[in-house]
Amino acid sequence: MNRLSRKHWIFTLSGLLSIFVLFAWLGGCKTEESATSGTTATVRPESTGPGNKVEGDTIPIGIIASLSGSEKPWGEESVRGAQLAVDEFNAEGGLNGKQVVLLVEDTGGQPEQGKSATERLITEKKVIAVLGEVASGVTAPSAQVAQEKGVPIVSIGSTRVDITDIGNMVFRVCYTDDFQGAMMAKFAYEDLGLRRVAILTDRKLPYSVGLSEMFREYFTRLGGKIVTEEFYEKGQTDFKAQLTNIKAANPDGLFCSGYFTEIGPIARQRKEVGLNVPMFGGDGWDSRELLQAGGEGIIGGYYSNHYSNLEDRLEVKAFVSKYKAKYGEEPANAMSALGYDAAGVVLDALKRAKSLDSRALRDAIAETKNFPGVSGTITIGPDGNAQKPGLVLEAKLVNGKPAWVPFKRYEWFDPGLKKKA
Amino acid sequence: MDWASLDQQIINGLQLGSIYALIALGYTMVYGVLRLINFAHGEVYMVGAYVAYYTAERWFDKTKFHPAVLLLLMLFNSMVICAILGVTIERVAYRPLRSAPRISVLITAIGVSLLLQQGGLLIFKTSPQPSISESVNPFKAYTFENLPLLGNITISGGQTAMFFVSLIFMLLLWFLVTRTSTGRAMRAVAHDFDTAALMGVDVNRIVSITFIVGSGLAGAGGMMNATALGTPLDTFYGLIPGVKAFVAAVLGGIGNIPGAVLGGFLMGVAETMVVWVGYAGYKDAVAFVVLIAVLLFKPNGLLGSVGVEKA
Repeated sequence: MNRLSRKHWIFTLSGLLSIFVLFAWLGGCKTEESATSGTTATVRPESTGPGNKVEGDTIPIGIIASLSGSEKPWGEESVRGAQLAVDEFNAEGGLNGKQVVLLVEDTGGQPEQGKSATERLITEKKVIAVLGEVASGVTAPSAQVAQEKGVPIVSIGSTRVDITDIGNMVFRVCYTDDFQGAMMAKFAYEDLGLRRVAILTDRKLPYSVGLSEMFREYFTRLGGKIVTEEFYEKGQTDFKAQLTNIKAANPDGLFCSGYFTEIGPIARQRKEVGLNVPMFGGDGWDSRELLQAGGEGIIGGYYSNHYSNLEDRLEVKAFVSKYKAKYGEEPANAMSALGYDAAGVVLDALKRAKSLDSRALRDAIAETKNFPGVSGTITIGPDGNAQKPGLVLEAKLVNGKPAWVPFKRYEWFDPGLKKKA
Repeated sequence: MDWASLDQQIINGLQLGSIYALIALGYTMVYGVLRLINFAHGEVYMVGAYVAYYTAERWFDKTKFHPAVLLLLMLFNSMVICAILGVTIERVAYRPLRSAPRISVLITAIGVSLLLQQGGLLIFKTSPQPSISESVNPFKAYTFENLPLLGNITISGGQTAMFFVSLIFMLLLWFLVTRTSTGRAMRAVAHDFDTAALMGVDVNRIVSITFIVGSGLAGAGGMMNATALGTPLDTFYGLIPGVKAFVAAVLGGIGNIPGAVLGGFLMGVAETMVVWVGYAGYKDAVAFVVLIAVLLFKPNGLLGSVGVEKA
């Protein structure tokens, strides 16, 4: 059994070597692809689809959301927020006596499922606008469908830069990752006074890869230094090896751009290797669960968000009390406010639209100016993106319990990263 | 790659390896006795993590217990429920197929694994993913820094406790297998199933004990990992650790108990070493390449003996 010929050896070793080379090549390809994906901003293609018209007594609007799967906390909140806005609109008499109906489809957080959900809403349910999704990976294929069919889609929480490049039917009410990354870099450099930051990226999550890139660029432009970048993969449970490497690079801050599911264990385990520097990240952190999952390690952590229940603004207070009256609890994350705003922008455009069809509605959405949203005043730019402020939250103990408390608000600015329209 | 953090990385690797070793023991014991690769073993580990979560967060009021008592309760529950699950799987899915071709049992094992992964979605809470809160882990409070002999490394209490509890279990298992009559019977069954039966060994009892012990160890591994690392749980929680532990068992020589422990620690350390040199993306790939390389040179694994395989 052990007697293998020399030829056989050379064969197997060269086989192994070629597998390695293949892996390395594939790995190289992937990073290049993600690096260039933000630069393709030119003129948005026009839709040639026929679009939908309102025919019955009601105005159908669709929403796609992950109502199952690990991103359920986001999907559920986005639907609750949108429903609240629709209810209000109908209570005020609707539009010329016509009531709006919100049709909900589950995406399960899966790109394919999101695509077919959008198709069903547009071709079967004849909706004149689609709201959603939260995750960029699901929004991209869904937006492609909406663009082809000529129905406007307003994303609720997809921050990936290239989503609105798909076409003129695609909009969003959240900020984009170039703004978010720049805002966090500004926050780290100016407000925390950090100069040597380490980055931890989920290499399987395009959102995380993109956000890390934007952060790196703006932070170095400000004059800071990225001392190291480490990678992990969604679903990993032990991060101590990466955290040890980061500690060895001796940073004064740690930027983690992944989703909350992995941030919890990272926050805990960084204490185990003795990495006691401020930890901060993007809106992928947004969840109530993180405060529990992160334990003590999350206290003193910061992330950029769209909105907070504790913000001291009239719009927020009104929204929270309306939400509480309907659902009996406080909004769990920012997606309810963004869902409310996405529906708000569409309903506001509906009033201004010249006729009751998806094309006229699209034009009205594109002209949205200074819409008073819960998550901030929204102006839709020529690229379909919302120009609106962002917010940094800090994990603090409030009456002995951890909570996300607003730290600082940043007005919208054009970071001039990659995307030069 | 930073040479100063090498010692810390080795400690991280040993801790990760102790969990792989605990799971690998279950694979190797079942293989030794039944010549069966129990693919459902990783799912038993997953159930162990969930039982720990439910014990700490749902079934009992954690504020009423001393943390150490609560931890023992979690460990006990995970091990007992996993042992029951393991022995049930054997009774229901494997025993009726004892005389069937080996491939049928193998496919059944994959079926049981899928059943637990997908069926678990109906029973367990997966969204939002639950995790065991830090307050149940009292070891968290103790960290050792700047130790006299070891220099600039940080060892957390949780890490140390997990490592030593794993070692204690391995020693207990070694004692069971080499120093008791049950262990002798187990070795006899592993050596020759039919002859052992003819010599008056209650083969079914031994198989049941093997599943009880192996699944209990997997349950302990799941409980400790979920408590120490604070990972969010879902029903696929055991998939990757299960595969890695299987590789560890093969690496050490499947059917060989010290081999499984060695393989587990090697896998854990190899994985952290790959991250240490800066190729975090390849850590899974390298683990398998190491396996292929070892199997090329030593087809029976590192400690496996040549020729035990029966026809």
